[in-house]
Amino acid sequence: MSGYRMEGAGRPDRSQPVRFSFDGESYQGYAGDTLASALLAQGVTLFGRSFKYHRPRGVLGAGVEEPNALVSVIRGPGRFTPNVRATSVEIYEGLEAVSQNRWPSLKTDVGSITDRLGMFFPAGFYNKTFMWPRSFWEKVYEPAIRRVAGLGDAPTEIDPDRYAATYAHCDLLIVGAGPAGIDAALEATGTRKRVILIDEQNELGGGALSDPALNPWLEASVRDLRAAPNVQILTRCTAFGFYHDNFVGAVERLTEHRADIGDGPREKLWRIRAGEVVLAQGAIERPLVFEGNDTPGVMLASAARAWLLRYGVAVGRKVVLMASHDSGWRDVFAMAKAGMSVAAIVDVRGTVDQALLDSAAQLGITVHLGSSVIGVSGRHAVSGIEVAANDGGNRRKIACDALLMAGGWTPTIHLWSHSKGTIAWRDDLGAYVPDKPNENVRCVGACAGKWDFGSGVVVPALPTPRDPTRIKAFVDFQNDVTAKDIGLAVREGFRSIEHVKRYTTNGMATDQGKTSNLNGLQLASTALGRAVTEVGLTTFRPPYTPQTFGALAGRAKDALFQPTRKTAIDGWAEENGAVYEPVAQWRRARYFPRGSEDMHAAVNRECLAVREGVGIFDASTLGKIEVVGPDAAEFLNRMYTNPWKQLQPGRCRYGLLLKEDGFITDDGVAGRITDDRFHVTTTTGGAARVLNMMEDYLQTEWPDLDVWLTSTTEQWSVIALQGPRARDVIAPLVDDIDLSAEAFPHMAVRLGHICGVPTRLFRVSFTGELGFEINVPAQYGRAIWERVFEAGRPHGITPYGTETMHVLRAEKGYIIVGQDTDGTVTPMDAGIDWAIGKKKPDFVGKRSLSRPDIVAPGRKHLVGLLTEDPDVVLDEGAQIVADPSQAVPMTMLGHVTSSYWSASLGRSIAMALVAGGHERMGETLHIPMPGTTHRAVVTGTIFFDPEGSRLNG
Amino acid sequence: MLLIHCPYCDEKRPEIEFAYGGEAHIARPHDPSTLNDEEWEGHLFIRSNPRGRHHERWRHIHGCGRFFNAVRDTVTDKFETTYKAGEPRR
Amino acid sequence: MADSLHRASPLPGGTVTLEGATLSAAPEMGRYSLRARDPAALAALIGRELPDAIGACSGGIARLGPDEFYALLPAQDALPSGEGGPVSIVDVSARAVGIVVEGAGAARAIMAGCPLDLDRMQPGRATRTVFEGVEILLVRETETRFQIDVWRSFASWLWRSLAGVNAA
Repeated sequence: MSGYRMEGAGRPDRSQPVRFSFDGESYQGYAGDTLASALLAQGVTLFGRSFKYHRPRGVLGAGVEEPNALVSVIRGPGRFTPNVRATSVEIYEGLEAVSQNRWPSLKTDVGSITDRLGMFFPAGFYNKTFMWPRSFWEKVYEPAIRRVAGLGDAPTEIDPDRYAATYAHCDLLIVGAGPAGIDAALEATGTRKRVILIDEQNELGGGALSDPALNPWLEASVRDLRAAPNVQILTRCTAFGFYHDNFVGAVERLTEHRADIGDGPREKLWRIRAGEVVLAQGAIERPLVFEGNDTPGVMLASAARAWLLRYGVAVGRKVVLMASHDSGWRDVFAMAKAGMSVAAIVDVRGTVDQALLDSAAQLGITVHLGSSVIGVSGRHAVSGIEVAANDGGNRRKIACDALLMAGGWTPTIHLWSHSKGTIAWRDDLGAYVPDKPNENVRCVGACAGKWDFGSGVVVPALPTPRDPTRIKAFVDFQNDVTAKDIGLAVREGFRSIEHVKRYTTNGMATDQGKTSNLNGLQLASTALGRAVTEVGLTTFRPPYTPQTFGALAGRAKDALFQPTRKTAIDGWAEENGAVYEPVAQWRRARYFPRGSEDMHAAVNRECLAVREGVGIFDASTLGKIEVVGPDAAEFLNRMYTNPWKQLQPGRCRYGLLLKEDGFITDDGVAGRITDDRFHVTTTTGGAARVLNMMEDYLQTEWPDLDVWLTSTTEQWSVIALQGPRARDVIAPLVDDIDLSAEAFPHMAVRLGHICGVPTRLFRVSFTGELGFEINVPAQYGRAIWERVFEAGRPHGITPYGTETMHVLRAEKGYIIVGQDTDGTVTPMDAGIDWAIGKKKPDFVGKRSLSRPDIVAPGRKHLVGLLTEDPDVVLDEGAQIVADPSQAVPMTMLGHVTSSYWSASLGRSIAMALVAGGHERMGETLHIPMPGTTHRAVVTGTIFFDPEGSRLNG
Repeated sequence: MLLIHCPYCDEKRPEIEFAYGGEAHIARPHDPSTLNDEEWEGHLFIRSNPRGRHHERWRHIHGCGRFFNAVRDTVTDKFETTYKAGEPRR
Repeated sequence: MADSLHRASPLPGGTVTLEGATLSAAPEMGRYSLRARDPAALAALIGRELPDAIGACSGGIARLGPDEFYALLPAQDALPSGEGGPVSIVDVSARAVGIVVEGAGAARAIMAGCPLDLDRMQPGRATRTVFEGVEILLVRETETRFQIDVWRSFASWLWRSLAGVNAA
């Protein structure tokens, strides 16, 4: 033995030494070691500090169930991963790991004073103690508690790694490649089934890796599986969640174990749809509950066996077993045969199988039946134990440096439970096992409760002669929950295990209670004097083990996070210095600053350019729907408030769309191209919603109509040319459309060509000026834009963005649905009831316009607001009151919906929704804003060119 | 992610291709103006919200584009059946 | 004059090599959304046969739904407007662009973000579906060749996403 490494035992490759560091100290292990096995081999016992009490903690398990040995792994800037289990971290050359939740160091941790002074925080402590004064919770108590109680630090830098993702389909998905999972996969070789076999560990085998006798079988099986063309094997891959219809999420770790991470993705998200799922996740050994059971060096017997037989590491030079189950006996027999010294076996049972006693005798191991460990000495490592008979007598001390616990087994039914399969209680196992499936899934092997570990008894806590209210017997190691806490929760009236869990936090740590749930349940059941099945079981939820956010996000990161939709003209805007704003998924040019202009200056300039000359604006994002068919006009007549049947081809109309509840949901201009064909526009953000709403009515309410809807949003690039010089700019570019005011009036549409490209040319305006919207097929959008821009240079053409568009339309009182309306605004409220076809018998929303609450007085109306001080631009969203001296909370009349500086008017303008606004014309209202309260007069909403004479130029 | 049988495509397709459309078999009245306020309120706002069998509409929006009806158990989240729009309630 | 104008595509030129597949932009094509209650009337109007089953694709025309067809034709093939008939024919040539994924690994590359089981999709089938959150029209032309039609403004994102799948 070198250190605690057993020569010749275990799988790590002794020809490949690996150097790594833990808390800055350098260590050596071998390829195939985990961080835990390599440190245990060096005699390290102390791995971390506990969550609440900062108690020293060692390794409890040997796999993902590990609650104690959480560490952080550092891989350079941005690559800091907290809270990973040392038992699952594969070492590689240069691995840098640090312990957590301690200061200044793991061995001398100031926080542990809470433990030393006996300052125990019982269940509900925080809620009870830090209630008053209320304001202290957020500012004082919580930050202080968070500093001392915690896990690893959250990373502070942006994660530089990339993550992959894929869907996968198979006929058979097997989760877990222990003997049961491997057998299930072998059965499917040679069939036509597509099989995926996944396992969270670095190699296949599961428990067989800790049983050298199974090596030949394992090697042959793995060889057969790898050779099978229909079997895909994924190792280092964790199935973290089981969702509807056999949809399983899994994360494959691609670089975590490699010294050189290369430039590939760190992890890959697998979204697997399986015909059948076989769960072979095995079982997890249960700790026993007794004083001192969290001392470093106290661990699961199965873990100690894995450390020795899989990793070649003895966890002590002289170990003792504390058992309530046969499996622990077998584990220590195997360990003794491999050369470890076993000082004693303590078993809470009065009698055990004679064969076990015979074996113990043969191996020279002392046995104490009907006895329990009642105390553990040593702070950073076990130095001995105290044992007593279950009646409290016969107390004696045994020297040892590790104590192994064998408390029985808990089948790993997490994924089964995610799938909503039912579970059944097995008294003989003291555990829940899978019962009836809810999906096409079955459990095999130990996770189905089928194991050959022998038998045992279930004890909620080991008998002790000590005062149970004064001992520290841990149930949930990671969340520092003791048996006493669960008793307290029950005494305080909690009856359901779901409530006990939340009150005590038992099972709520990052391990989701893999080692604590059943013990907690047994304790609660005992304290309540009710059967376990009446106390219930807490719900398992994904993820089975913690996964990185990066893996769950997959490729959806940075530029691929979500599509940024760009128009065909976007590139021109970018080259010309546009400042963008996001609108739905689009990015739109907000303004085009010149030199050092800020937004205010640029927008003022752009506004005046449109009013006095001509401006050019990319309106391509407007939603467009081609409504075609013999019943096109009838359909629009039913959908929109306006009348459509008399609209002549070549003419346009503003359309107002309500929901059936009478509230405005969208608007836009539609042009009649031919008798049977309309070109309908929607708002940018409403495009998909409006199309879906129209399809809904068409398919399900009026399937008799011969009319069809086609989204043409992306077919057309739309160039808005607005201002008194607009006609002059395009005149030379268009030769087959008469552009004169007489031949082509406001609200008309013409088909023709611009620069030889087919166009739907609309004469419409969202600015109040003479305007055109040039629709051309999108691949020509940029080229035509550039031609128009060149043609406009002599006229001082000015590109403008959405901010200027907003100001110009507000000067005219044109609403923006979603800004000046909020889903509770009717056409009457908005003052656009002129858009309602008065003679129409029906349209979507019409009936609701006579609902009692819609016709009631006092509704909020859209009005204009002019501040008394013309230089004050109100905040959008600011509240409006009638009397600013009233007591707080004030009666609010409404809010400002749109507010801008109007360069054309030389003053601010605003629109607002105000209760009874239409009856308040001329009234002065008050708008409290930070620092001061402003006065404003209620007006109409049209601030500029109220006669509309400029439109018809 | 559910698999949903589209009665038009006659295939089970992943849920992400579909959009939920609220309770099924609530027809818009032929002439809403003949409904009194209570009846109109019922049409607009009142839904059955059952625990168990629920008739509901889905749209295979990223597939064939059709609205169809389904019976889904609101407790188990399992689909009992799906059928085309216009077919009688099942 | 139109011929002298630059026709812009949101896709980059050239080819991206993935594991077992290549990614390239499809040429400009004629695209039509075709709708009719009676497919026979539509077929007669455009003088072409239409596939019978939803999901089938032949002669460049895919049946997407009971009353919906999508034509992907050589750029010079124009269809009549169908004016006056009980049909809807809408030229959407510019609405989408095509991305061709070709090679033995093509299906796997697309399944990186498409939830359909492409092992079970026969050549000659077409369907609307999604790649992550983005709607696409997927045509399996042959065992190893797919065309993905995607709306223009999503094309650059989709191209980059597909180009990155073998970061896997």
